Amino acid sequence: MPVTAPKRKGTQGAVGAAGSTWTEKIVMYGFLAISAVVFLLPFAWLISGAFKTQAQIFAPTPTLIPPDPTLENFKTVLSDASLPRAFFNTTLIAVLHVALTLFLCSLAGMAFAKYRRAPGHGWLFAFVLGTMMIPGAVTMIPIFVILAKVGVLNTYWAMIIPGAANAFGIFWMRQYITANVPDSLHEAARIDGCSEFGVYWRIVVPVIQPALGALGVLVLISVWNNLMWAFIVLRTENMQTMPLLVYLLQGEYQTPYGLIMAAGLVTVAPLIVAFLLFQRAFISGVTSGAVKG
Amino acid sequence: MMSDAAAQSTPAKKPGSTGSLREQMWRYRHFYLFISPFFFLFAVFGLYPLLFSLYLSLVQWDGLTSPKWVGLQNFTTLLRDEQFYRAIWNTILIGVYHFPPMFILAFVFAVILNQQWVKLRAFWRAAVFMPAITPMVVIAFVFFILFSTETGLVNYLYTGALGLLGIEAAGVPWLQNGTWAKITVSILLVWRWTGYNMVIMLAGMQGIPGDMYEAATIDGASRWQQMRYLTIPMMKPTFIFITIMSLIGTVYMFDEVFVLTNGGPGDATTNFGLFLFQQSFQDFRFGYASAAAYSVALVVFVMSLVIFRVGKKGE
Repeated sequence: MPVTAPKRKGTQGAVGAAGSTWTEKIVMYGFLAISAVVFLLPFAWLISGAFKTQAQIFAPTPTLIPPDPTLENFKTVLSDASLPRAFFNTTLIAVLHVALTLFLCSLAGMAFAKYRRAPGHGWLFAFVLGTMMIPGAVTMIPIFVILAKVGVLNTYWAMIIPGAANAFGIFWMRQYITANVPDSLHEAARIDGCSEFGVYWRIVVPVIQPALGALGVLVLISVWNNLMWAFIVLRTENMQTMPLLVYLLQGEYQTPYGLIMAAGLVTVAPLIVAFLLFQRAFISGVTSGAVKG
Repeated sequence: MMSDAAAQSTPAKKPGSTGSLREQMWRYRHFYLFISPFFFLFAVFGLYPLLFSLYLSLVQWDGLTSPKWVGLQNFTTLLRDEQFYRAIWNTILIGVYHFPPMFILAFVFAVILNQQWVKLRAFWRAAVFMPAITPMVVIAFVFFILFSTETGLVNYLYTGALGLLGIEAAGVPWLQNGTWAKITVSILLVWRWTGYNMVIMLAGMQGIPGDMYEAATIDGASRWQQMRYLTIPMMKPTFIFITIMSLIGTVYMFDEVFVLTNGGPGDATTNFGLFLFQQSFQDFRFGYASAAAYSVALVVFVMSLVIFRVGKKGE
């Protein structure tokens, strides 16, 4: 695991260190170890299941490491063209949706951070914040009807466009830009002949990359894992995303769990790898909703 | 109204910021240009749907034939719909089953991982947090295998452990019995959300100034007293946030129940989110579903306000 303990000097300066006895430490580490096992177990079972036959998955005695691991599941899943296609669809949708969301949010975020004297600034921003209160459950059917009317059901657009106007993203970008891009920098660039969009592109974007990374991760997770909306708007096999493909592997009479585990592993793996590489961005991205302005 | 706001946000102190409203707006045209994509998309995918949905709640419509005006009938039907009440009741039970253990676990993890002397903190945190980024459709299938009554690992360990004590026990019908199925869904929810809430609580704890603890230590407060009178009161905003998010999450939850139980056995695990999906996209009762969505959204909104107010009270 590429995860290392934080490099801190021993136990000095820690709040509870002095008061923690050996028994307390043993209890705590025991608790942490058991918890880690429990929380990681489903992942282990996913990996193990991908290398098992249906009979082994439902064997009376469960085994973590199958006695004779099989590659059949992967062969079957990959021999069908639908999995590479679904992976491609998911990637394309995710990349375009994330890029569009980041672009719109940071551009609007900069506008709200930097043109504070524009007429209407205050109530326009309050309006943006207010839109966060609208629950998706209420707008779901109308959005579906609009997409059907426009004729973009079962296209990538139906997955990419509707969620791209992200009020929370705008709020967050505005906070970050206000705190990290001084007005003087903006002024200097302007005096040097930079256009307003040039200021955004050449001055603001490079500075706010950490925030873009964290927001990008948050948006990526929700679009990559999205099952319900994909189920509603995507109709044909060539348009399937990975979550939809995994879900639809269920059979009416028998469900091929080995195949589901193999395809599931392909769905989960990119996120897990990205998480282990960019843990900090992931955690700040996913939990950013709790950041108070 | 517009000129009012403009006057407020353009105090005429700075030189160069004077001029008519039109001149001002022209001067700041980039502001409007840069925020316009949001307002365009919001008009199409937010405002219009909101109004359209309100209209839909007053008609009967399957999405194909032309809508039929029924007035408030959808709402009166909703009030007598036993299926709807069962979905609400299931939502409440699943919330009650999963929230307390999840909350306590997340808090305990946060307290432990906030101690500087604990080794491998990044590893423990990653292990508990990982479920938050995992697609539920995949993990729900894994849970189905783990919680299989006949051959699942959970029952294997459970009966095995009892066997060691000399007790012969049958496996728990995790997904066959209504109550157990709710508990299984709740376990999945605890698994999924503990790490997420732990990280939020950790952020909240790290926001408490260290000198407050120093002062408390000097005043002779024990660690429990510091927890009781310093940490927990200071964490209140975080707790309110987590409670409201969990409320919303449980009401509108979909993937977990759709894949793991499909709402069953019977409709024992059909929460409101799944109920709404079934009404909308399986039975195509667009009007009725809109009425249900609006009603519940209103209730959730009011409940969130109440949680917010009650939570703030002690401060």
